Amino acid sequence: MDEEEAQRHEGSPELFLFLASTVHDMKNSISVLSGTLENLLAAPAPESTPSPEYGQMAQMLYQTKRLNDNLIQLLALYKEVGKPGYPFDPMPRSVRELVEQASGQARILLQSRGIALDIDFPPDAIWTLDEDLIIGVLVHAINNAIRYTRDRIRLSVRIDGDYLELRVEDNGTGFPPAMLEAGVSAMDAKRTNVDFISNSSGLGLYFSSEVAKMHRHRQRSGGIALENGGALGGGCFVLRLP
Amino acid sequence: MMTATTTATSAAAHPVAEGVVDWAEKRYLLVDDFVGIRQLLRESLRNLGAKHIDQAASGGEAMVLLAKTRYDVVLCDYNLGDGKNGQQVLEEARVRNLMLPSSVWLMVSAEKSVESVMGAAEHQPDAYIIKPITEGVLLTRLNRVWHRKQVFSEIDQAFADKDYLRAAKLCEEQIAHHPLHAIDLLRMKAVLLLKSGDPDQAGAVYEKVLEERDYNWARCGLAKIRMANGELESARLMFQAVIADNRFYIDAFDQLAQSFLLQGKTEEAFDVLGKAAKLSPNSVPRQRALGQTALKLGNIPVAEKAFRKCIEMGEFSVMKTVDAYLGLARVCGQKNDVKEAIRLLNAAVHQFGGDQVELRAKITEGLVYHESGDYRRARKSGDELELMLSDEHKQRPDAATCLDMATLLFSVGVKEAPIGLLCYVTRNNHDNVPLLEDIQKIFDRARMGEEGVALIKASRQEAADMMNKGVLLWKTGKLMEAVEWMRVARKALPHNMRILFNSAQILISWLQQTGYVRGLADEAIGVLMHVDAIAPGQPRFAQLMEQLALLAPVSGVAAAAAASEYEAANGAIPGTGAD
Repeated sequence: MDEEEAQRHEGSPELFLFLASTVHDMKNSISVLSGTLENLLAAPAPESTPSPEYGQMAQMLYQTKRLNDNLIQLLALYKEVGKPGYPFDPMPRSVRELVEQASGQARILLQSRGIALDIDFPPDAIWTLDEDLIIGVLVHAINNAIRYTRDRIRLSVRIDGDYLELRVEDNGTGFPPAMLEAGVSAMDAKRTNVDFISNSSGLGLYFSSEVAKMHRHRQRSGGIALENGGALGGGCFVLRLP
Repeated sequence: MMTATTTATSAAAHPVAEGVVDWAEKRYLLVDDFVGIRQLLRESLRNLGAKHIDQAASGGEAMVLLAKTRYDVVLCDYNLGDGKNGQQVLEEARVRNLMLPSSVWLMVSAEKSVESVMGAAEHQPDAYIIKPITEGVLLTRLNRVWHRKQVFSEIDQAFADKDYLRAAKLCEEQIAHHPLHAIDLLRMKAVLLLKSGDPDQAGAVYEKVLEERDYNWARCGLAKIRMANGELESARLMFQAVIADNRFYIDAFDQLAQSFLLQGKTEEAFDVLGKAAKLSPNSVPRQRALGQTALKLGNIPVAEKAFRKCIEMGEFSVMKTVDAYLGLARVCGQKNDVKEAIRLLNAAVHQFGGDQVELRAKITEGLVYHESGDYRRARKSGDELELMLSDEHKQRPDAATCLDMATLLFSVGVKEAPIGLLCYVTRNNHDNVPLLEDIQKIFDRARMGEEGVALIKASRQEAADMMNKGVLLWKTGKLMEAVEWMRVARKALPHNMRILFNSAQILISWLQQTGYVRGLADEAIGVLMHVDAIAPGQPRFAQLMEQLALLAPVSGVAAAAAASEYEAANGAIPGTGAD
């Protein structure tokens, strides 16, 4: 975000430039915060030194990641994700690399909270997608699953006919009914604006559904769904891309 | 299906990609204005085993380090505060040749960058990364870029050697082996086919890609071919469809403006360029186009703003252009500020230097005086111009500048020099009918219509005679004499495409008969490089380059050496970057 975009916001280019540089600063701060915490958490083996500070740092990292997720999503909304103006950039990508990057971003956070991550994907698959956006959706889904899981999360990808299906599942007690409803309304074609439910899940679902819908191929477009059950018996976030 | 399970208790292992690269021994440069980020990235790189890591806090610092060391990996933030931004650092590093072909440039930004999908920037980084950067993402992208460079290394080499036909064949060969890069390979293949003057085949490649998915670059590529083919209306509709789909696809704006200009719709072109410049103002070529179109329409305020922006950007960019100074001088002239116009022209000569700039500055000076009604000073500029042209050894500027010059000289009352110039342009373009028509019009306006007809006829005949003599010698088997004669012809008509191509053709025939001789091969390459610089994308260029490459005992090396010698002597060959 820079001067170029400021020109588009003719109403208040100064304000826009100010916002842009603030975002730049905030991103730097979050980067340093989460990077430092990850370095600290990665250093000792968790079992041998179960210090109380370790748990607190793990909690700090979790909150930092949520802060980052929300910031990404707010920015995407502000820049009108889903509209022709959004810099959408689908390319053929390796599914292996996609999974590698998404799981790599969550690795230390999961490790620090004692949550196992199962991964399952076709190693040679290639799919056309906007990698940064999809990683954003998957990482958000994993961070969300941390709230609902007991001790295990599963990230799986498979090719289902003309679609690529990506699932983030957990072994908790499943999503509450309000959450499942929010999942349905996020994909409702008649929805006119964001249905923000009480917590930030509304923002995340809205972001994910817009990203899914941007992925179009031959009259088919992507979608998201929330379910209970799945391979681990808990909540499931499902993203399908044509 | 591959199943991998990582648990909280398992050892922290980095995901390992196939074809593992040793990232430990590489030289790294980190560029970010925030010290905290540099420390963090340095930590991440050390975790990958890196030992040689340099840091820069600004674009200026980065340039100093880049000039000293050839880095294998550059991680550069786009937003660097005051001074150069990341894109300008990249452009300057590439233009000044401070990067190895194998070097990796990763551009870092705070969020999804518009630049990554604009499709227009001539110098693209190898990849973009969004903050916060995690080790996993960094490693995956490094490995991916490295693997891509492996796939493209032979193609890039053939491209650098200007053996476009071989490079296109290599693309086709690689597609089967690398499905992940298939789309990229097809995109490159289309560019290569265009460069080798085969738009039909290039169009077929784009159509094939579009059957898979609606890539905007393929739609634009196809539309550009239509435009070059004179199907202006159909091209316009295609560019407009791309813009409707992606408002950021700036290349489509620039091309749409071009299609309007070709249709003679200057107003519409101006409108589109204005929108494009609003969307992405930091492009010197775009601001220049906007300024020149505005000047043509007499929209002085917009022209002034665009040229000023051009000059302002030039301060931090290697893309700066003398055109902005000349354009702004014209603007000042039209605002009756002759003093400021002359100051700008002096600044242009001072900053850019060289015979061509001096000539063009002098023409502009004459125009400014003429338009402001100071005919005495305009005549003086004309006389000075005539004196500059009297030195036969000095290279003449491009055809368009020559025609401008002739127009000005006639209008201030000089006779001999413009006639000489117009005959020179005619000899060098003796079969370019539209250009010859423009020349005749200049004669007509100078009330020299009949003389013009005779002069053009004589000049064309002179060129044709020179060429025919060479061809006759060649056809009758007097190859040695043909080679000798074509050297004379080249000297007399240094920009005549037909003579240049025939000259190279005769040299190659000679080599085919007698075997490879380094000196003659280099001469042929030199001729071809020159013709490609003045008229890129000719099919004969690609065919002759391929024939030469087949003759060479070591592939590529000779051509590359000759090409770089040519560039050293004549400046960079325009349009050598991938589209």
